[in-house]
Amino acid sequence: MIETKNLTKNYGNLTAVDDLNLTIQDGDIFGFIGPNGAGKTTTMRILVTLLEPTRGKAFINGLDVRRHGKKVRRLVGYMPDFMGVYDDLKVFEYLEFFAAAFGIERKKRKSIVEGVLELTDLQSKRSVTVDSLSRGMQQRLGLARVLIHDPKVLILDEPASGLDPRARIEIRELLRELKRMGKTIMISSHILSELEEICDHIGIIEHGRLVFSGTLEEILSQLGIQSKVRVRVANNQNKAVELLTALPQIRQVQVFGDYIAVTFREGQDGDGIIARTLVNADLDIVSIQPERLKLDDAFLQLTKGVVH
Amino acid sequence: MTTALLSFFSKLFNPVWLTGPLLDKELRVSSRRRRNYVLRFAYVLLLTIFVVIVWLSVVKFQGTAAYQKSRMAVADKTIITTIVTFQFIATQLIAVIMLSTSISDEVYNRTLGLLMTTPINSFQIVMGKLFSKLLQLILLLAISLPLLAIVRIFGGVPWDYIISSFCITLTAVIFVGSLSLFFSIFSRRAYVVIIVTILTLGVLFALLPFSAGMLWNAITGDWPGRALTAAIFYHNPFGVLFFKTEMMMSPRMGGGMPFFSWPLHCGIMLAASAVVLSASVINVRKVALRQATGQSDSSFRKRRSYTNAAVGASNQQDFAAVPRRVKGPSVLWKELRFPMFGRHKAATFIGNFVCLSLLFTTYWLCAEKHLLDDEETHILYAVIFLGLGILVTVVLASTCITSEKESRSWPLLLATTLDDRDILFGKFVGTLWRCFPIWLFLFGHTIIFSLAGFVHPIAIIQIGILVAWVVVFLSGTGLYFSSCYKHTTTAVIMNFALAAVIWGILPLLMVIVVGITREGRDFLEVYMNTNPFVHTTVIMEASVNKPGSYRWLSFGRQAVLDGVESTAWMLVCMVGYMLLGFLFAWRAEFRFRQNIF
Repeated sequence: MIETKNLTKNYGNLTAVDDLNLTIQDGDIFGFIGPNGAGKTTTMRILVTLLEPTRGKAFINGLDVRRHGKKVRRLVGYMPDFMGVYDDLKVFEYLEFFAAAFGIERKKRKSIVEGVLELTDLQSKRSVTVDSLSRGMQQRLGLARVLIHDPKVLILDEPASGLDPRARIEIRELLRELKRMGKTIMISSHILSELEEICDHIGIIEHGRLVFSGTLEEILSQLGIQSKVRVRVANNQNKAVELLTALPQIRQVQVFGDYIAVTFREGQDGDGIIARTLVNADLDIVSIQPERLKLDDAFLQLTKGVVH
Repeated sequence: MTTALLSFFSKLFNPVWLTGPLLDKELRVSSRRRRNYVLRFAYVLLLTIFVVIVWLSVVKFQGTAAYQKSRMAVADKTIITTIVTFQFIATQLIAVIMLSTSISDEVYNRTLGLLMTTPINSFQIVMGKLFSKLLQLILLLAISLPLLAIVRIFGGVPWDYIISSFCITLTAVIFVGSLSLFFSIFSRRAYVVIIVTILTLGVLFALLPFSAGMLWNAITGDWPGRALTAAIFYHNPFGVLFFKTEMMMSPRMGGGMPFFSWPLHCGIMLAASAVVLSASVINVRKVALRQATGQSDSSFRKRRSYTNAAVGASNQQDFAAVPRRVKGPSVLWKELRFPMFGRHKAATFIGNFVCLSLLFTTYWLCAEKHLLDDEETHILYAVIFLGLGILVTVVLASTCITSEKESRSWPLLLATTLDDRDILFGKFVGTLWRCFPIWLFLFGHTIIFSLAGFVHPIAIIQIGILVAWVVVFLSGTGLYFSSCYKHTTTAVIMNFALAAVIWGILPLLMVIVVGITREGRDFLEVYMNTNPFVHTTVIMEASVNKPGSYRWLSFGRQAVLDGVESTAWMLVCMVGYMLLGFLFAWRAEFRFRQNIF
């Protein structure tokens, strides 16, 4: 479990993290989002013992990051928002070096390195120098490095930035796999659609303060962002609009070209009602498609986008 | 017609066609950098200190008023010489440092390719970079002009000397700056550029004239005459300024001196700068175009990286090279896996072969002239090797952590379960390992001439003691500065400045101050006798012709010690400096997790 209590970090007059209280449960994937300069990276760096907080406390599995730095580092795998490489070190050597740095016994290292290479699909690159890898490959290598000492907690700062769509999908699958393995994952990203798909909980931070923390549904509910469906009918669209507007569960009906956007009232959800109503009126339904809940909308509403 | 002519002439005299908007941008940026103001302040402060001390030492206030007046003319000439020499050396050093990142910064920040997508051409890029730094250097030169003018009026120093020294300094700065800019195209690391530039200047201004003179002497049996000396030194600003200064200080000696036309020398230096700048323009264009077309970092990446990238698709070739397994402590393994003589075996072999050939040629020439029996020959070699060793140790020690910070692997290392002490130990041993080859020159010289019977064998042990503490001390200070700063260049400059202050500037100032006040001689003697250059001189002097008679520095008293006493003193110095070195290293550990950038 990751927990922060009144965590504060000042850089001179600038408060990067301001009284941050955060709780991430074991086995969760926690999406940490916020505008640039909101304090995400600073929070993550404090959690991995790279920075000392000015005030407040942070705990990883109950261990104070300030007092038990070494024990915390053993528990945590940290992937920064940049790839630190050593010139002329090969992929295998790079990973084995970090395995040794985490105190893994020499006889176990080879199999562990081979294992993470396989997990991240980097076996074919094991003898290539790290600085010659492409950006996507380097990100994968970063992930492999994070996993080398089998940490219980993963803290990943924008792991998908600069990756092509295929690599992003692969990393997403990998994270799901890691969740299945019981890892607690804290991940920051600017690609909100991806976080929507993999995160159990979301934390939104701005000006160093946590403006929201909870599930996606909780955010949308709190903001009054209701579920929507798109309805297409083969004929008589005006009649369909008339019928749907009359339904008490529906708050708003709008026509956009060949489809009708239907917004339900808070707490209401009923594709079945729409289908029944239209079929009863002898209208031919082409499709009824639920519109996905958007984290982008919540993010825009909750943050002002002002960088300090 | 008039408008067209006006437009033509305004364009012709507008510096924008030469430098584009780059000069403006560079000047804006440099005006926002605190280090430029610190640099100017330090320059003026050092210049003032030197001038005041020289004034006090020459005038000697203890004498009568008539005596003091009689010293004025000498004082004026000495002050002018001091100012000229100071600005000549200082501005060249600053030029090398300032321009060492001029192009590499653009390449590293990937802005060079962007510049190529604008109407700016590579000529303007090079000129913009050069002129922006030159303007700052000219400002430094201009700071001392009023002082020079006032002293000249009262001291009877010819205008010719003031003007010629200014022009010689300026053209030397342009050449040195152009060279530094040229090398900055090929290396991201400022310290590499600085070292390569200094070594190139050493070859051009010292080794070539020295070898030419020695060769002439070996062939003809006579030293070069005035005309030949002038020919050898015409491209050498150090030589030209030296002869000009000697002529000004002692006009009577003029008959025996080679004649130099300083405008011709300045013309040669400007022509040489033009050649270097042309090469820079061509290379900048190549690098910029590569970056603009997406082949980024081309000039920085190693050939092998390209090969790997090229064969990346071929798994068979990838597997061909078997990775090495990590043995022992991880940081130590990483540091020691770096080959002692560099990675590029062919280049290292050729470089070593050329250096050793040149070195053995000088030995052969010395043997031909029976100079190997002379203690001064061995002192000169040992001091040069010591200086080289110190330079390389200063640089390598200062890069050990900053290079990790620059490649952004430092936070990754700190996020592991390694103790800070393990990291410190690994880095420290790694520095010693990488420094070792350069010290082989000093050891090799001592051992070879000891075996040949020219140098007493005890010198090997004493040189060993000296090298041990110099390396440990400089590695400690280097580690400390490396942990304090983000950029390698800053750490290198700080470590170099520390060594220069404690072994160069401070002793010089102390000698002058003690000379004036006539107090604190004992302290000065002890302090001077801890200087590694003094140690080397004393060891070589005692080992070549006067075995067992070590003449340490003293001011008016006898300070001759025997071998045991001298070795004991060297061990005391070793303990003191090593403790200091370890203290710096220990402090470095405390700074590891502060401001990790």
